Amino acid sequence: MTTLIVIDQAPYGTWVGREALDMAFSLAAFDQPAALLFIGAGVAWLRRAQNAAGIGQKTLEKNLSAAPLFGIEQLFAEQTACERFLPDPDSRVKGITMAGSVNHLLEQYDHVVFAG
Amino acid sequence: MSPALHPGTLHILNKAPGHSRFITCLANLTNQDTLVLTENAVLAASDADTKLPEGTVALGADIEARGLSDAMPVEKQIDHQQLVRLTEQYARIISW
Repeated sequence: MTTLIVIDQAPYGTWVGREALDMAFSLAAFDQPAALLFIGAGVAWLRRAQNAAGIGQKTLEKNLSAAPLFGIEQLFAEQTACERFLPDPDSRVKGITMAGSVNHLLEQYDHVVFAG
Repeated sequence: MSPALHPGTLHILNKAPGHSRFITCLANLTNQDTLVLTENAVLAASDADTKLPEGTVALGADIEARGLSDAMPVEKQIDHQQLVRLTEQYARIISW
């Protein structure tokens, strides 16, 4: 059983995304293959050089970089959303697979879960 | 005697671009108004699809948290004290 967790909300403004990341890590911890897909404003998670100390939160970039260690198979990002919010490829964190068609990607997974 | 209040409206927006209230807010701005971006709304600073009005400002801590420090001129980034002072200058405030 494979699970795709979709994050479509911007980081830090709500706790929704963090809960989805915890779910992904929990699935992986129980050897349930899980992948993450960032779409819409959710691709803002993938911007480098975040520093959330000023708003009293931990920087998400560190959580994301630990994803492979936790067994999260892949991190996908919606290509058109990246072109809108992260036009400069150097501003994106490493290890992201661009998804040209979100629908096509959704079809590859047994379970799809949207955060929030 | 207290100083005259600004005739325009102060719009405080914390929704990400694409959110229905983000769209409604921008559609309601007049050139007398001031837009303050906070929390997720600061993503507009790097959004190719959003044209921000000239006088728009944003909370610096939210800008930095999201890695957008180079996407918003420093003089347009304010802190919480400056936001409070702004709210004292406007008769009408909308928190979206």
